[in-house]
Amino acid sequence: MKILVVEDDKTVGDYVRRGLDEAGYHVELVGDGDEGLRRASGRGANYDIMVLDLRLPKVSGIDVLRTLRDRGVGLPVLVLTAQDSVDFKVQALRMGADDYVTKPFAFEELLARVEALGRRPKAIAPPTLKVNGLLLDTGSREVTRDGKRIELTPKEYAVLEYLMRHQGRVMSRTLITEYAWDYHFDPGTNIVDVVITRLRKKIDHAKEPKLIHTVRGVGYVVRA
Amino acid sequence: MTVWYATALILSIAVFAVVLYFARRSATYQDLDRRIQSEADLTAGILAESFHARGVLVEKDTAGRPVLTPEVAAVLEVVPDFLLVTSRDGRLLFASPDARALTFAEFEQLNAITRPPAPTAAHVPGRFRIEPNGPTMHYIVRAVPDAGDQFGTIFAGANTRSAELRLEQLLLTIVIAFFVGVVPAILVGGWIAGRALEPIDRMITEVREITDGRSLHRRLAVPMERDELGRLAETLNQMMTRLERNFAALRRFTADASHELKTPLTVVRAGVERAITRPDTPPETLAALEETLQEVNRMTELLESLLTLARADEGRADLHRESVDLRDIIAEAGETGELLAEHAGVGIEIRLPPEPLVLAVDRSRIRQLALNLIENAVKYTPRGGQVSVELAGNDGRALFTVADTGIGIAPGDLPHVFDRFWRADSARTRTSERAGTGLGLAICKWIAEAHGGTIDVQSRPGRGTTFTVGLPRS
Repeated sequence: MKILVVEDDKTVGDYVRRGLDEAGYHVELVGDGDEGLRRASGRGANYDIMVLDLRLPKVSGIDVLRTLRDRGVGLPVLVLTAQDSVDFKVQALRMGADDYVTKPFAFEELLARVEALGRRPKAIAPPTLKVNGLLLDTGSREVTRDGKRIELTPKEYAVLEYLMRHQGRVMSRTLITEYAWDYHFDPGTNIVDVVITRLRKKIDHAKEPKLIHTVRGVGYVVRA
Repeated sequence: MTVWYATALILSIAVFAVVLYFARRSATYQDLDRRIQSEADLTAGILAESFHARGVLVEKDTAGRPVLTPEVAAVLEVVPDFLLVTSRDGRLLFASPDARALTFAEFEQLNAITRPPAPTAAHVPGRFRIEPNGPTMHYIVRAVPDAGDQFGTIFAGANTRSAELRLEQLLLTIVIAFFVGVVPAILVGGWIAGRALEPIDRMITEVREITDGRSLHRRLAVPMERDELGRLAETLNQMMTRLERNFAALRRFTADASHELKTPLTVVRAGVERAITRPDTPPETLAALEETLQEVNRMTELLESLLTLARADEGRADLHRESVDLRDIIAEAGETGELLAEHAGVGIEIRLPPEPLVLAVDRSRIRQLALNLIENAVKYTPRGGQVSVELAGNDGRALFTVADTGIGIAPGDLPHVFDRFWRADSARTRTSERAGTGLGLAICKWIAEAHGGTIDVQSRPGRGTTFTVGLPRS
C-alpha cells in the first residue's frame, strides 16, 4: 500500500515515514504543497492514502486539498493539524479531508487512522489476537483463555487489547493510558496499575505461564 | 442630572429672593423713618415760622381747652400719618386726621409717649405696637426749640402697615416670578439636557452591543458636527479599532502558538515514542523515556487548556454537539472513577437514572468535565473516604453531581476555585505528587457554561466538597 506524506517539518516527516515504513507501508515524503499536489494529481499517480500537513510553505494544505478535489482526485486524505478547534477541523473535513489527527499525536493514533482509511473500501475482517492460550477477538470483543470465557470491563479490554497488539514489546504506562483513555491523567495517578491488577486476577490467577509482566518504572508487557 | 441643575437653580433663585426681600425691607423701614423725621422737622419748621410771624399760636377753644390756632392747624392738617403737637405742660394741642381716627384707647397710647419727660432737642426715635393687635408704629418725638415756650413736643409716627404692604407685594412678586421662572426653566432645561444626552445614551447602547465580544468590527456612527459628541464617537472608534487589532493579534498568536509549540512537541514525542517502542531499548533508558513522555503530555495538556480558554475568552464556543445519552458518558467516566478510587482506597458509588437522558452536547468535552471532577474528588479524599457520583434528569435539566468526604475547601477559597492557575495552599502541601495545571476547574466551568449550563460548588473543610453541574436539555 502506497502512502504520500506531505509535511514540511523534516523531523515530523521522517518520523511518520519511518513509522509507516515499519508498519509495512510504502511511503513517499515531500516537503511542500506544490510538489505534493503535482505528485498526487499527476499522470500515473497510484497512491492509496495521502497524509497532509495543513501548514505548508507555498501552497497551504487547505489549498492542496481543495485543488485535489476540484481536479476530481478521490484519494483518501488524512490531515495533520495543530489547530484543534472544531471549526477548523470541520473546515478541513468540508474541503474533502477524510480524517484528521491533531498535533502532537501518538503514532498509534496516526497508524490506526491510516489503517482505517486504507481498509475502508475492502472491509478486512478484524483479526484475532493470540498469546499462548489467550485469545482476543477484536470483532466480537470476546476474550478467552484456554477456551474459558473471561468477562472484561471496557477499560480492561482496551488495555489488554493494546498490550496484545504489541505483544513482546514493553508498553509504557503513558502510552497505555493514552490509548485506553485519550485523557491525560495526573502522572501520579497510575490508573493503569489498577487495571493491570484486575486483569491479572482474571487472566493469570492460578494459571501458568503468567502472561502479563511488569517492567519497573516503565510499564507492562504481554508475552508468553 | 436635570434634577441637580433644577435644584441648583431653585436654590440660587431662593437665596437671591431672600436677600432681595431683606434688603428691600430694611430700605423700606429706613424710608419710613426718614419720612416721619422729615414730617416732624417740617412741623417744627412750620411752628417756628408761624411763631416768628405771629407770636402766640395757642388759643382756647369753646370748651376752654388750649388748641392750635386754626390757621396753623389748617396747614398741619395736610401732613399724613400720625402727628401730635403738645403744649409744654403736656396738653394736646393738635392731632392729625389719622390720629383722630384712632379709638380713644389707641389714641391714649400715642399720647402717653408725648408726655414728659420731654426731650430737649434731639430726636427720640422709637417703635411700639398699638395694643391690642394694632399695627406696629415707628415714631419720632422731638422738641420745638424755636417757637417760644408754648410747645412741648412733636410726635410724628407712621404705621408700618403701609411699608409692610409694599413688602408683601414684593414677596408676592417674587413668589410669582419664582414659579413663572423656575418651572419653565426646569422643563426647558430638562428637555435641552435630554436632547443633549440622548445621543450619549444611544452611544452607550451601541458601545455595549459592540463590545459583547462578537461585533468588534462595527463602529459608532460619527455625527456630522465636530462638537464634543462627534469627537467622543471618533475617540471611541479609535479605541475600538485598537481593541479589534489587539484581539486579531491575540487570535493570530493563538493560532501561531498552537502551531509553533505543537510542532516541536510532536517532534519530541515522535522521538520518545519511537525509542520507547523499540524492542531493544534497555529498561533504564525506557524509564527515562517514560518520564519524558509524561512531561510532553503535561505540556500538551497545559497548551491545549490555554488555547481552549483563550478561545473561550473570544466568545467562540468551540463545541461539536451531537445527541448523546449522558448515561453512557458518565458510566464510562464512572468506570475510570472506580479504578482511581480503588487505587486510592476510597469508596465510590455511581447512580444513573433508569431511563435515557439524551442531550445535544460535545461528547468529548462533557467526558473531560466528568473525568476532571471525579479525578479531583478521588484525589482530595483520604483513604477510607467516600465519593458519590450521580446523574439525574429533572424538568428540562440534567444534573450531574460529584460529592466527596474529602479535605474540603476553606470558605475563603471557595470563590476562587474556578479561577485560572488557582490551587488551594492546603491542596498543594497535602499531595506529595506534583499538582495539576491549575486549569482543570476553569476548563470545567467553561465547558458547563459553553453548553448553556452552570457549575456550582459547596464545601466544608474537613467534611467534603460537592460539585453540581446543571445542563439544559434544549
